[in-house]
Amino acid sequence: MGLSFLNSVQWAATVFVELAVLLLALRRRLFWRLPFFTTYLCLLVLNEGILWVIYRFSGVNSYISFESYWTLQALLILARALAVYDICRALLTSYEGIWKMCRPLLILLAAILAVGATISTNNNAHHLATAILAGERGLELTVVGVLIFGLIFCRYYGVEIEHHVAWIVLGLGFYSAVQAASNTLFQYSVTRHFAVWQDFRHASFNIATIFWFVALWKPLPARQPAPVLLGQGEYDRLAPQMTLRLRELNTRLLEMWK
Amino acid sequence: MTVFVATLLFLAILLALLWLLFGSPTNETASSLDALQIENILPVNCRHFPQISQLLSQEDTQFMRKRTPHHVVNKWRAERRGILRQYLSGLAQDFARLQRLARLIAALSPKIRKGQELEWMWLALQFHASYRMVALKLAFGSFSPEGLAGLTEMIAGLTSELENRMALLAEHSPSRLRTDPGS
Repeated sequence: MGLSFLNSVQWAATVFVELAVLLLALRRRLFWRLPFFTTYLCLLVLNEGILWVIYRFSGVNSYISFESYWTLQALLILARALAVYDICRALLTSYEGIWKMCRPLLILLAAILAVGATISTNNNAHHLATAILAGERGLELTVVGVLIFGLIFCRYYGVEIEHHVAWIVLGLGFYSAVQAASNTLFQYSVTRHFAVWQDFRHASFNIATIFWFVALWKPLPARQPAPVLLGQGEYDRLAPQMTLRLRELNTRLLEMWK
Repeated sequence: MTVFVATLLFLAILLALLWLLFGSPTNETASSLDALQIENILPVNCRHFPQISQLLSQEDTQFMRKRTPHHVVNKWRAERRGILRQYLSGLAQDFARLQRLARLIAALSPKIRKGQELEWMWLALQFHASYRMVALKLAFGSFSPEGLAGLTEMIAGLTSELENRMALLAEHSPSRLRTDPGS
């Protein structure tokens, strides 16, 4: 059995928007700034094409369609995770010291969250649909967790986030947040409320693509020159002095309080 | 319960993202150093301590007690507390400026130490907690002026040190850091 007319129209609209965002990204030469995110946009279009062929030849409700859909979803989440890494790198790489400190922490956080996702999936292994939703929720939380952690670093060190990157991040984060929430909501009732769950999924994805559209609508600003860094010795010399001063200040304030 | 958890999860993530992406920045961005001026970084509020010190003098208190009616003294005390509160908040701004400089140094360094950065974060947390407690004490009127004087001296002592550091930063990145608003 193929897709219904309404579903086909919805799907065609989604493919159209995805294609438009991809073309806009290519026109804006986004690949040179965010290569993994641009690749992710390509994969989205490719994913729709592959699914269309599979649904057409084996039917929407076939086992092959089910397996293909979830395999492709896993690949897309992986691509999204790489896009998130790409964004964090683009934001922080000019600040060598911060990036060197931040990168292992981001990787560690991703590993911890991914392990959590695996445990959650294993705990629900008795029921396939529940296990898939738990696994996907864990991975979406990994994506959005790393994203938020990277943004906290940017805010703490006052790293500027360009307008287009902010909208791209919002799209990625919004989609992951909706997936995580809807998978929690429908974890044990997805088979009964499959249509509603699917509507949440489509609507959130369409909203995310609109955010990406907004991000790429105007030409991208010229690249900011990398900041001139201090010599390594300066940090080593200044940092302990600053710490001592801040520590003294705290001690004095504590004395006042007591 | 599940609906509540899911909604809370979604809202928490969304609000965090919106705040981190579009919230007003707490400090000037490291990449916008061109607009940075030394006056915006150095502690300034602690310079007003002589005036504050005068406000806290015991002689004034005794004079007011002797010469003015009780309700006027109370009003005068309340106003004095208000000024002290403002001054304390100014000192917190000075601390924030110091912290900003510390982050700037870290952002412009090719290699930073995790332990050092964590300590700065911890110190900032400690400072804010203590500051709240002192403000509370001030609100209840059980606050010694000597304590405030000590704190002010400490921040004021940092000024010259900071000026040297700013000069060093300017040396490494002269086009990005102005020490004179007119230059």
